[in-house]
Amino acid sequence: MQNKPDIFEILERAHTGEYCSSKDWDLKKVRGAIRRALKKYNLENVCDTENPINTDYDLADTFYKAGFEVALELGFWVDDTERIIQVSQEELENALKFAPSELLVGEGKDATLLKARTPGDPYLCKQASSLGITVSEDIYMQLVTGIAEEREVDILEAGSLTTVRGHEVLSGTPWETLMGYWHGQYHREARRRAGRPGMGAIGSISAVTDYGQFGAYGTPGGFRSTDLALILFPSEMKVDYRTLNKVIHTLNMGGMVKADSPGMIGGMPGPAEGAVVSNVACSILSYAILQNHVGGGEIYDVRYLANVNREGLWALGMVTQALARNTHILIHNIANEVSGPGTEKLLYEIAAGQATLASCGSSLSTGPRTAGGRLNDYITPLECRFTAEVTHKASGMDPKDANEAVKQLLPLYEADIKTPDVGKPYQEVYDVATGKPTEAWEAVYRKVKKEVIEMGIPLDDC
Amino acid sequence: MTIELMEKLKEAVIEGDEVAAYECAVKALADGMKPLEIVKASIQPAMDVVGEQFQNGEAFLPELILAGDAATKALEVILQEVDGSGESIGKGTVVIGVAFGDNHDIGKNLVLAVLSAYGFRVVDLGVNVSVKEFIAAAEREKADIVAISTLMTTSMPYQRELVKLLDAMGKRDQYFVVVGGGPVTPVWTKKIAADGYGRDAKDAANLCLKMVESGKKPPFDEPMFEGALDAASSI
Repeated sequence: MQNKPDIFEILERAHTGEYCSSKDWDLKKVRGAIRRALKKYNLENVCDTENPINTDYDLADTFYKAGFEVALELGFWVDDTERIIQVSQEELENALKFAPSELLVGEGKDATLLKARTPGDPYLCKQASSLGITVSEDIYMQLVTGIAEEREVDILEAGSLTTVRGHEVLSGTPWETLMGYWHGQYHREARRRAGRPGMGAIGSISAVTDYGQFGAYGTPGGFRSTDLALILFPSEMKVDYRTLNKVIHTLNMGGMVKADSPGMIGGMPGPAEGAVVSNVACSILSYAILQNHVGGGEIYDVRYLANVNREGLWALGMVTQALARNTHILIHNIANEVSGPGTEKLLYEIAAGQATLASCGSSLSTGPRTAGGRLNDYITPLECRFTAEVTHKASGMDPKDANEAVKQLLPLYEADIKTPDVGKPYQEVYDVATGKPTEAWEAVYRKVKKEVIEMGIPLDDC
Repeated sequence: MTIELMEKLKEAVIEGDEVAAYECAVKALADGMKPLEIVKASIQPAMDVVGEQFQNGEAFLPELILAGDAATKALEVILQEVDGSGESIGKGTVVIGVAFGDNHDIGKNLVLAVLSAYGFRVVDLGVNVSVKEFIAAAEREKADIVAISTLMTTSMPYQRELVKLLDAMGKRDQYFVVVGGGPVTPVWTKKIAADGYGRDAKDAANLCLKMVESGKKPPFDEPMFEGALDAASSI
C-alpha cells in the first residue's frame, strides 16, 4: 500500500494543520530551518563561483540530506488558511519511491519519453520551448508553429497571450478563462500545422490563476491529459487554493502534474547555498503534497532577475545533482537568460545554462527566457533550436567538462547581466512573410555555435 | 555617549533587533537628542548599510525585512515625540500591494522593507489585491502614495485600472501612483499616466522620497523614473 497522503488528505491538512502567520512562516520558520540546516551540515559559504558546476558529489549528497530534513521540519504553508501541511518521513519517502521515473509526454510517434537521469547520463535531457514570453495575437500562430517546427524541440510550451480576439485579458476574471480556452486551441493547432499533432506540450503558460487552467487543460481541442499541466506555486514552500485547484483539475482530467517553484537566491532562503537547500525541500515536498509527476530543481537569483550568473549556475547545478543522485524524480529546470533575440550574448547565456542543467542530471528543461521574459514578442524559433541543441548535446557531458565550457562562456556576458542587451523582437529578426530568420540573426547563430563547439560542447557543426 | 548610543541604534537596526532599536530610541530622546538628528545619525545610515549588503550578497530579503521592522519600531517612538510635526521625519504613508490575479510577493516585500527604513509608514495589502481594495486602503490610511506591483503581464492592466478609477472617482489628485514589477517599464508607466516607476527596491524607495519631497501634488504631468534603466526600459 502506498502510504502517502492523497489529495483528500492534503485538503484536510490545509484546514487543520498548525496555524502560522505569514510573517512568522517567512522570517522564523523558513529562515530558521534553512539557517540551522546550513550550519549543521557545514554548508555555509561553500558556493564556488570560480567553478560554477560542482564536481564534488559528496557535497551534493549533503545538500540533499539538509533539504530532506528541512522538508520534514517545514512542509508547505497555505496562504488562504495560514496553516501548514506537513508530511511524515514515511509519507515523504513513499511519495518519492512511487514518483514516476519515466513518463511519456504527448501521443504516438510525436511523443517524448522523459527519464530520470544522473549527472553525466547519456540519456537525453529533453527540451521544452519556450518560456512564457508574451506574444501578440496576430503573430502567435506563426511564431508558435515556427517553434514546433524546430525538430530538436521535444515539447511545446511557447509564448503566452495577453489578448484574446483583440480583447485585453485581465487575470483572475472570466477573461482569463476565455483566454485559457483559446490558448489551448491555438496551441494544439500550431502543433498540427507543424506536422507534429501528437507532440507533447506544457500548458497553459497563459494561465496565471486557476481560471486560465480550467479553460485550457482537458477542454476539447485544448491541452490533453497526455500533456503536462503547468502548475507554478507563488513562492517556495508556499501554496494556495489556486495551486491546489490546478492540481485537482489536472487529476480530474486524468492528466500529469508539473509543479515547481524556484529556490530564490537573495530571497527568504538567503544565499545560493540556502536556495539549494530550500529547493531540494520544496521539490521533494511537491511530490508528497501536490501529487507531482514532473518537477523540482529550479533556481532564480532575485538580485539579477536571472540564474545564468555564477551563483545562479552553481545553485542550479548543485540542486540538480542533489536531486538526481538521491531520487529518481523527473527533474525540471529552467535557465533564465536576460539578453534578447539577435544578440550573441543570449546564445552564450543559453549555452551556459543548458550545459549546466543537462550535464548535472535534469530530465527536462524549459526555455529560453529571452530578454528576461519581460518584453512582448522578444522570442524567436532560432534560439529555441539552439537551446534544444545544447541541451541534447550537453546531456552526455561529464560535469567536469561542462564546468570548463561554462567557465569560458561566463566572461562573455556576465558584466552585462544587470543591464542586458534585450535585442530585437520577432518581427525584426524574422521575415514575417516567410517565417524564416534574417540572414544577420542566422549568422550570429552560426558564429556562436562554432565558438561553443570550440569550448567543448559537442554540437553538430552548421 | 551620544555617538555610542547612535552606533548602538544603528547596529540594532542592521541586526533587525526591534527591542534594542526601541530602547535606544527611547534613551536617545531622554538624553535630549532631536528626532531628526537620531534618524540622520543612525536609522538612515543603518538602512544604507543593509541595502549595500543586499546588493553585495551579504544580506538577503529576511535581513532587509527585519531591519525595516526595527527601523519602524524606533521611528514609532521618535515620531511620538515630534508632536504634530512628524511629517518632517516621517516621510508619509504608502499603501503597497500586488495587483489582482498575481500572488508573487518577493519584489513587493523588498520594496516594503526599504520604504520602512526610509521613514515611510507602509501599509502592506499583500497579494492579489483588487483596485477597489487599493483605493479603500489609501483612503482609510490617509496615504500619500499607492504602490502597485506585478510580475504578470495579465495583471499589469490593473495598474492602469487603478489610475483610471482614481480619475473617475475624482481622487487622482490625492495620491501618487507608483508602479513596478518584472514586466513593467517606463514606457508602460507613461502610457497609463502613473506618477513613477522604480526598477528595483531601492530605486522605488528613492522615487517615493523624491515624490513627497517634490512639494508637488499628484498627478505629475510626466512620470518620474528611478534606477539604472536598461535597454528594455525604452520599449
